[in-house]
Amino acid sequence: MSQTSVLDAARSEKRTLLTEVESKALLREAGVPVVDTRLARTREEAAALAKQTGYPVALKIVSPDIAHKSDVGGVKLNLRTEKQVAKAFDDIMKAVQSRQPNARVQGVAVQTMARPGVEVIVGLSKDAQFGPVVMFGLGGIFVEVLKDVSFRIVPLLRRDAREMVREIKGFPVLQGVRGQEAVDIAALEDILLKVSELAERHPEVRELDLNPVIAYKDGAVAVDARVVLEGETPS
Amino acid sequence: MIPDLTRKLDRVFNPKVIAVVGDKKANGYSWLKSLIHFTGKLYSVQIDENEIPGIVELGVTNVKSLMDIPEPVDFVVCAVPRKVLPRVLEDCIRKEVGGVTAFTSGFAETDEEGKRLQQQIAERATAAGLPLIGPNCMGIFRPKLGIRHGVDQYYGETGPVGVVAQSGGQATFITTGARANGLRASKSVSFGNAAVLEAADFLEYLGQDEETKAIAMYIEGVRDGRRFFRTLRQVAPRKPVIIWRGGQTEDGARAARSHTGSLASSMAIWDAVARQCGAIRADTLDDVLDYLKAMVFIKPSTGDRVGLISMSGGQAVVTADAFARAGLRVPALTERSYTELAGFFNVIGGSYRNPLDVSWNFDSTDLAQRLLTILQNDENIDAVSMELGVGAMQRRWRRDPAFAEGLLDYLVRYKEESPKPFFITLFPGKWEAEALEIREKLQERGLATYPSFQRSANAYRRLVDYHRAHAREA
Repeated sequence: MSQTSVLDAARSEKRTLLTEVESKALLREAGVPVVDTRLARTREEAAALAKQTGYPVALKIVSPDIAHKSDVGGVKLNLRTEKQVAKAFDDIMKAVQSRQPNARVQGVAVQTMARPGVEVIVGLSKDAQFGPVVMFGLGGIFVEVLKDVSFRIVPLLRRDAREMVREIKGFPVLQGVRGQEAVDIAALEDILLKVSELAERHPEVRELDLNPVIAYKDGAVAVDARVVLEGETPS
Repeated sequence: MIPDLTRKLDRVFNPKVIAVVGDKKANGYSWLKSLIHFTGKLYSVQIDENEIPGIVELGVTNVKSLMDIPEPVDFVVCAVPRKVLPRVLEDCIRKEVGGVTAFTSGFAETDEEGKRLQQQIAERATAAGLPLIGPNCMGIFRPKLGIRHGVDQYYGETGPVGVVAQSGGQATFITTGARANGLRASKSVSFGNAAVLEAADFLEYLGQDEETKAIAMYIEGVRDGRRFFRTLRQVAPRKPVIIWRGGQTEDGARAARSHTGSLASSMAIWDAVARQCGAIRADTLDDVLDYLKAMVFIKPSTGDRVGLISMSGGQAVVTADAFARAGLRVPALTERSYTELAGFFNVIGGSYRNPLDVSWNFDSTDLAQRLLTILQNDENIDAVSMELGVGAMQRRWRRDPAFAEGLLDYLVRYKEESPKPFFITLFPGKWEAEALEIREKLQERGLATYPSFQRSANAYRRLVDYHRAHAREA
């Protein structure tokens, strides 16, 4: 799926929420590294895709009507066998059917479990006065409790990306604490710049969440992605 | 957008003829009195027979209509009720005036009818290409030409400070406050509800204005944030821009909506804007004035290592705290400096690491001169800051005025000749009047003083941040 076809499809269906599979297609083409995620429509397809990607895998519900997948029981992690995958597929379908029966369900996304690293988040939102704004922070309690995040107005320059990563109080975590290796900070800066470019190219993107992005000593990858479009295409 | 705006604003800020429409006794003829020192020709437009004698008494020519003025009018101040404003604007357009300030309030900041009326006058002015400032504002201040929006403002002088303020009150406080700190204004504007011209227009104009060397802004909200951001990114590298944002808190934001009808973005977003553009954020009027002084009076630098001179041991401790708290460094001097200091620094109770504590033992300007020269030559130090004790200073003044004057002369000369930034802390204590006298002597000759170590340190921190921001690569 190309960027335009993803956006066209959503527009023609009058949808504002992209599925995870669509969101990742959009991001991948924008140059943001994402964990490969493929759509399985049946439990058999899910099992086959899991085998192809390699265990352990994660399964997540794919529906244009569900923004917060884990709230409806739509996420199963760390599945190590074909049997576990098949059961997880059924469990997800059942849970979604009972908790959000009217949701249009396209299937289940199968993705390989990313290896552990430092979790960060990257976001894009729109300010009423200044337009698209990129956000960066460390994942988990850093962002939720401590609100330790930085912002920059689109378009970002390289130095903006450099500064917003270093501006958060938790920056030493990225440099490596308690014997941990430093993460690839340049890779995080690249993601911020690519998100800024994406926002410039597609003003119809209203919100974008990469939560989490996992940072390693060599590279970083978005594990989950959520894109929301404007109700009406802004001029 | 108004086409050819720079040329049009040049005409507004350099008028030969000004007309005030609708000034009246109930208002104390405040507009006409504020403009009484205008270097060009001033007219009043007033149809009310009861008001005219008071106007004539002021020596101002009154006419019944803008159209009756026998020459081109460059700038109009409109102080008429809101329902009359559209009619006066039509006259302004027909008369092809240079620009208009609409003092009139009761528009987007009040009710739906006000919003509709504001929309209507904005569309009309924009279509006619008329630079409309306001409504709900005090307009321009151009002291050099005697154009004021309040009788408390000064005239007949000019300086390096440009002011862009949504609020007329803040424009007055910033310009008069800066004047009290030795800084005159080149051009200042308050633009209220920003129906046609908004912050970005004036920022762009002052950004290219050669008289203006530093810009202070008071903003409650911007209409086109994208444009403001782009403009700020262009102007800030050329000259320092200080942004004081009103409505930072929820309570403040609510007040801003009813003041100028402005919508507020979060402070985190404004912070990002300032950092990205390399502008200087201020939270209070004191901040604005302190940072203006730093940007105009103190030599540019990206160096954060400060050499300090204090007047007592306790002051040495707290001045070091203040500068460190501002994220500046107070490093040890070089061995060479310490060797030199050991040769003459035998003050009882004094000490000479950094800060150098002189325990107020200035018998002659000689000691000050030697200490300051050592700091000037020390490679570990980027900037020099000195405490001047007002109590001791004023005692010396009474006993030995020549010494006191000589010391101030030396400090000014040092500021001019040393390549390093130099500024002074002058804590008034109980000697407010004496401190003011010393401050004025120094600031009139371009030497910045601050009433506390922390304010000295914070201001210098902003100076370093500003120059670092514009030294960074893209």
